[in-house]
Amino acid sequence: MTEFSDQIILPEQGQSAGVAVSLESPRSLGGEAWRRIVRKPATFICLIVVAAYVCVSLLTFTPIFDKRIEEPLSADKSYAPPALHHTWPDGTTTLAPACWFGLDFEGRSVFWRVLYGTRTALLITVFASAISLSIGAALGLLAGYFGGWIDDLITWLFSTVSSIPWLLMVIALAWVIQNNQSLNAGAAPSRLEVIFGGTTSIILALGFTDWVGLCRLIRGEVLRLRDLDFVVAARAIGLGHGRILFRHILPNTFHLVIITFSLGAVSYVQVEVILAFLGLGVTSKPSWGRMIDDSKLELLRGVWWEVTAATVAIFILCLALNILGDALRDALDPKLHGAR
Amino acid sequence: MWVYIVRRLLLSIPILLGIVAITFLLFCFIAPDPAVAYAGKQKTPEQLAAIRHQLGTDQPKWEQFVNILTFQFPLSLRYRESVWTLFRLKAPVSLAIQAPAFFIELALQMAIALFVAWKRATFWDYGITFISVLGISVPALSLYLAAQWIFGGWLQWFPVAGWSPGFFYALHYAVLPILVSVIVGLGGGVRFYRTIALEEINADYVRTAHAKGVSQSEVLFTHVLRNLMIPVVTQTIVTLPLLFTGAVLLERLFQIPGFGNLLVDAIHSQDQPVVMFITYSTSVIYLVMLIVTDILYTLVDPRVSLQ
Repeated sequence: MTEFSDQIILPEQGQSAGVAVSLESPRSLGGEAWRRIVRKPATFICLIVVAAYVCVSLLTFTPIFDKRIEEPLSADKSYAPPALHHTWPDGTTTLAPACWFGLDFEGRSVFWRVLYGTRTALLITVFASAISLSIGAALGLLAGYFGGWIDDLITWLFSTVSSIPWLLMVIALAWVIQNNQSLNAGAAPSRLEVIFGGTTSIILALGFTDWVGLCRLIRGEVLRLRDLDFVVAARAIGLGHGRILFRHILPNTFHLVIITFSLGAVSYVQVEVILAFLGLGVTSKPSWGRMIDDSKLELLRGVWWEVTAATVAIFILCLALNILGDALRDALDPKLHGAR
Repeated sequence: MWVYIVRRLLLSIPILLGIVAITFLLFCFIAPDPAVAYAGKQKTPEQLAAIRHQLGTDQPKWEQFVNILTFQFPLSLRYRESVWTLFRLKAPVSLAIQAPAFFIELALQMAIALFVAWKRATFWDYGITFISVLGISVPALSLYLAAQWIFGGWLQWFPVAGWSPGFFYALHYAVLPILVSVIVGLGGGVRFYRTIALEEINADYVRTAHAKGVSQSEVLFTHVLRNLMIPVVTQTIVTLPLLFTGAVLLERLFQIPGFGNLLVDAIHSQDQPVVMFITYSTSVIYLVMLIVTDILYTLVDPRVSLQ
C-alpha cells in the first residue's frame, strides 16, 4: 500500500505520454542545504572548524591527555607566561607546545587544558541537546498532530516553562541537582560519572529547560502539515498514527530540529561559562568556563593568557556555529529564502 | 476590550499554578533537605530541627505549596531578614544599573538596525552584521573581564569594581557596568531588529511610499519605524523583569550589591528561601509582563483581532 504514491509518478508513464522526464533524481532539501554550505567558502571553513573541534574532543577520550593536563611544568608550580621553548628539569631546552599558551595557577599547561575543554563542550552540547530535542520534538509532534486535550496540556506545559526566565531556571535546576550530588558524595564514582566528569548537573539542567522553543516550532509546523494532501492520503490508505507521525510528518519538521541544534549549541557553551562562574559548573575536569573562572582575579595582576586562551577557544567555536546555524536556517527554511 | 483582558487574565491562572508547581517540585521534592545543605552534616538533630522549623519544611507539603502561591517565604537563612526586605534593598540598586543600560541599548540597537537596513546589501550592512556575529560569539564574562581590565586596571578611567550609596558616588561606579552591559547586548539586538526591519522594508506599503515620492529618510523614520515598534514592544516588555533581577554575572563581577549579586550569594551560602523567592517572584513578574505585552500588542496593532 505504501507504494501507492510512487505509482503516480513512475517515469514510464511520463515517457509513454511522450513527455521528456529527467531521470536524474531530484535533490532533497538536505542535499541542497549541504551543497549550499560546502560551496560557499565561509560556511565551508566553519564546517571544518566545527569538525576539528569534534575531532579534538573525541581524542580527549583516549589516554593521551590524562598526564598532560595534570602535570606541573614550572618549578614553583605557579603561573608562567606563554613561551615558545621550555627548559626541562634535566637542562635541555626544546620547542614545547605545552607552554605556548602559558601555565595556570598550579603550573599546568594551558594549551592542553584548552584542548581538553572541547570534551566538556561536546558532552554538554550532545547530551543536553539529545534530551531537549527529543522532549521538544516528541511533545511538539503529539500536540500538533492529535490536538484536543493533548494539545491543551502540552501548550499549558510549555507556556508555564517559558514563563520562567530561562537562565534563572537553568541556574536553579543546576543548583538543586548539584546539591543533591554533593550530599550523596563520598561513594566511589561509577564508570559513567568518570566519563561525564561532573557535567551531569549542567546537562540535565539545560536538557530539561531548553525544549520549549523547538516544541513550539514543531507544533506550529505539524498543525500546518496535518491537513496537507500527503498526510490526508496517508490517513486515507489506512496508515497508523505512529507511521504517519514518524515516517511522514517528522522528516518534514527535521529542518527545525537541525537549526535548533546548531543555534542551541552556542548558548550551551556560553551558559557553561556562567555556571562555572557561579560555582555550579564542572569541578573535576578542565573546562573553558572553569579556566576563565579560575584566573579572573589574576587578570588585574597581568595573568591574561588563561582567560584569553579559553575565550578564544569559545569564540572560534561559537562564531563557526553561529555562521553555520544562520546558513542552515537560510538553506533549510524555504520561507526565509527571499528575506536575504 | 475588557472582555479580552479578563479572558487573558483567567487564562494565565493555570500558568501561575504551573509556575508554583514547578517551583514547589524543584525546591520541595528534587532539592535535598535545605537544613542539611545549609548547616552541613555535622549539626545535631535539634539544630537541624530548628532550621527546618524556621524554613517551614516541617509543615505538610500542601501547606508549603500554598505558602509559595501566597508569597509567604521563610526568612533568609543567611541574612535573617524577610525576603521582601532584601528585595526592597537590592532591587533599586539593580535598577540603577539596568534601567539606563536598557534604554541606551534599545536606542542604539534600533538606530544601528535601521541604519543597516537602510544600507542593506552594502559594505556597511555586511560589516556591521559581521561585527554583531563576532560580538555574540564572545562569552559575556570575557567581555566584562576585558572591560574591567582595560578601563579599570590599565587606563584607570573608572573604578574596577565597587558601589557606594548616594547619586554621584553611585554614578562614579555605575558608568563602567552600564557601558559594558550595553556593549554585550548590542550584537544580538542589532541582528534581531535588522531582520525585522528588512521584512518591513520589503513590505508593500514601503514601495507605495517610495512610489509616491516620499524621501528615503521619511520612509525610514515615519513609516518603517512606526511599524517596527510592534515587535519592539513585544520583545522588550518581556525583558523588563530581568531589569530587577539584574545581570547576575555583571553585578557579581563589579561588586554591585543588587538582586543578581544576592542570588549568587544565596547559591554559595545554600540560602534556599532566597533562591526560591528569586526564581518564583521573577517568574511571576515575567508572567505579568507577558500579559501586559499581549494587551499592549492589541493596542499598538489594530490588525490583531481581540477574538
